[in-house]
Amino acid sequence: MKKEKPPKRARAVSKPAHPKARAAAPDSLQRSAGARANHTPAARKRRKRGAGAEESETAAGTSELESALSASDSAVSLALDDDDTLAEEAPELGLGSRMVPPHIGWSDPLETAPPSARPHGDVAEQIRALEARLDGLIRSGAAVKAPEPAVPPTEALKLVHQEREVVAAPADNLAESPYFEQQWGRQGLRNRSEEVDDFGLDPAFENRFRPVSEFLYRRYFRIKTEGIAHVPSSGRCIIVANHSGTLPLDGLMLRTAFRLEHAAARELRWLAEDFLFYLPFAGVFMNRVGAVRACQENAERLLGKDGLLAVFPEGVQGIRKLFSERYQLQRFGRGGYIRLALRMQAPIVPCAIVGAEETNPLLYRLEYLAGLVGLPYIPVTPTFPLLGPLGLVPAPSRWTIRFGEPVSLDGYGPQAAEDHVLVGRLSERVRGAIQAMLDNGVRERKSIWFG
Amino acid sequence: MSDERTLEHSATPGSSPLAARAPRKQIVAVTGAASFLGTNLIGVLESEAQPQRILALDTKPPATAGAKTRVYELNLTSAAAEERLAEVFAAEEVDTVVHLAFLPSPTHASGYSHELESVGTMHLLNACRRTRVKKLVMWSQTLLYGAHPTNPNFLSEKHPLRARRTESFLADKIEAENEALRFGKPGQGRTVTILRTAPIVGPTVDNFVTRYLSHRLVPTVLGFDPLWQFLHEADAIAAFRLAVVRDAPGVFNITPDGVLPLGTAIRLAGRQALPLPRALAGSMAGALWVAQVAEAPPSFFDYLQYVCVADGSLAHKVMGFRPLYTSREALIDFANAQHLREVKLLSETPA
Repeated sequence: MKKEKPPKRARAVSKPAHPKARAAAPDSLQRSAGARANHTPAARKRRKRGAGAEESETAAGTSELESALSASDSAVSLALDDDDTLAEEAPELGLGSRMVPPHIGWSDPLETAPPSARPHGDVAEQIRALEARLDGLIRSGAAVKAPEPAVPPTEALKLVHQEREVVAAPADNLAESPYFEQQWGRQGLRNRSEEVDDFGLDPAFENRFRPVSEFLYRRYFRIKTEGIAHVPSSGRCIIVANHSGTLPLDGLMLRTAFRLEHAAARELRWLAEDFLFYLPFAGVFMNRVGAVRACQENAERLLGKDGLLAVFPEGVQGIRKLFSERYQLQRFGRGGYIRLALRMQAPIVPCAIVGAEETNPLLYRLEYLAGLVGLPYIPVTPTFPLLGPLGLVPAPSRWTIRFGEPVSLDGYGPQAAEDHVLVGRLSERVRGAIQAMLDNGVRERKSIWFG
Repeated sequence: MSDERTLEHSATPGSSPLAARAPRKQIVAVTGAASFLGTNLIGVLESEAQPQRILALDTKPPATAGAKTRVYELNLTSAAAEERLAEVFAAEEVDTVVHLAFLPSPTHASGYSHELESVGTMHLLNACRRTRVKKLVMWSQTLLYGAHPTNPNFLSEKHPLRARRTESFLADKIEAENEALRFGKPGQGRTVTILRTAPIVGPTVDNFVTRYLSHRLVPTVLGFDPLWQFLHEADAIAAFRLAVVRDAPGVFNITPDGVLPLGTAIRLAGRQALPLPRALAGSMAGALWVAQVAEAPPSFFDYLQYVCVADGSLAHKVMGFRPLYTSREALIDFANAQHLREVKLLSETPA
């Protein structure tokens, strides 16, 4: 037969190109009687899974043939190429055992017949029909140009494969496979959730960032938590903490602490200062990992969903503390968090974060030019303007996060939120509790770096 | 100003706000009848039993005018508009007016838009005062709250309208809203319903938001990715229909469920975001706006930086409105139609 020759030739050309693939995939070679030299391990895996076996085989065959063709010398004429495809196809259809290249060992006795063996007459008819179609294609198709061989053969291959798929197993479950998602899924959104929650937290983005926050939590700041069991496992709750660090990382670390350490792995949202949302990048980033702009409406909405909320009543006053003022709580604003707790009937858990104030020790505040860049002040730390943005990398101090006994406001009704004197007194009580915990923590600490 | 926006909501706990009213004779006049909202609202009301008659008031007839609709040609910017409206309202015994004659996109003709939106609303309301119109339903937008970094994540109806007054597109609408609120002050026996819709997208609507999302490269502000809401056009029409057939005085945010970061929205629409530094973007957008290439003046970059998302729970509680589409579904529906249009499988242009 005239057809036997060209495939051998193509194979001879392709052989040196894929020695590794061949070595890596011996059993797949044996399985397909057509001796497709080029099955990748991935293709094999897919086939073993059973789903879409035929599909992967044909796909790999196509690519192999294409590479073979493109590698073959330009002397191979178009007509020959077309014959090539048919002959290439033939083994799969059950005719191919004699075309096995001699150098491949056919030793496995378990592999008897090619997977899709069918009566020969049927197949021969199909081939004849295809030949006729191909002839038509060649006659009508693009002008025969020897140096550009690739297009018509692949066309033809596709046709052949389509024919076969109708007869063989249809790939119904293709769309369910993860491969389909990976290959044809929405490319641009692969790394993002398509929906954020109402306040802008993007779970997929947070998942990607999670290793970083856990590294910071476990290795960098080596955070120790005490009394996290004071925070109830369910129901609304407000955590009131001291605020510090020129780059406020305490909210993020609190969130990580609750995910890693709390028995119920509660999800914490924290309220961040307004100025954060004026800033490019930082505002969006903090928002996507869980910060919410500090205002009563947002806080009420979060607590209304029985959430866990962290507030830093010191606000900007807290993060603008100079190093000399460290661990001295600033004023607690107008006690908005107390009014919030009274109105929403949420318990308050005081929290002292020791160690965060040393991460970016603030030596001086440049307030004079800060308005130009939309910041409340430009921080001057031992490293910051000196080393450029690198200077903002926090120092690896050791942190301790300590939770106190919950302050219950059960005795007061929601209307107590209007009582300014009471709000002030309660706020002072919470502030005193946190200050005491801070003082204890600083006193008990032996080293800034090792706790 | 704060007293102007204290319209009473009929949110008394016992009485159902839905209070299906006994079938009464209702004659509805729709201004801006040939606009997107007008056309579709008339189409919806045509197919229903409730309004006996619909008057379509616009400079051109709406395509959906049917047996129930009478078309009157009316130019709200003309000096005689008030006289003509009063005549028509008296002759037809109109009791409900749906005021939709607002521009859906910013325009260079700021003089015209002022005449139409601010002065036109005044003409209309004076005509209503002279006749026996008892109910006004007006279109407004959540964009009027303005995008600020100090906005809460969900703006309630009580929040002041802080959009830039230098922008005539926004300022005229705020003025119109204030006039309507004055018209509907409690104690005068009038029902005024103002529906502030989130940015409307959908397969057939055309406004500056849909045009913005149709660019191959969509300009955004570097470092900012605010949350947006996208209301499906069908939900917008449904809200107006509901406001016509039910009496729910007050201001309502008509919003979808869910929010989308702008960057995600652009990708869902199959576009590529082009982040520009604000300083550069502002001047560039200014030049493009003057050259009539951009669809909005540079002050709209606020909305690309800061959040302007409204809370629609009041419309649910009082009016009984529930959106059918989430923000994401609305955007995908819009994007699908847009893609079909691009490959010329969908021939009709958006309204």
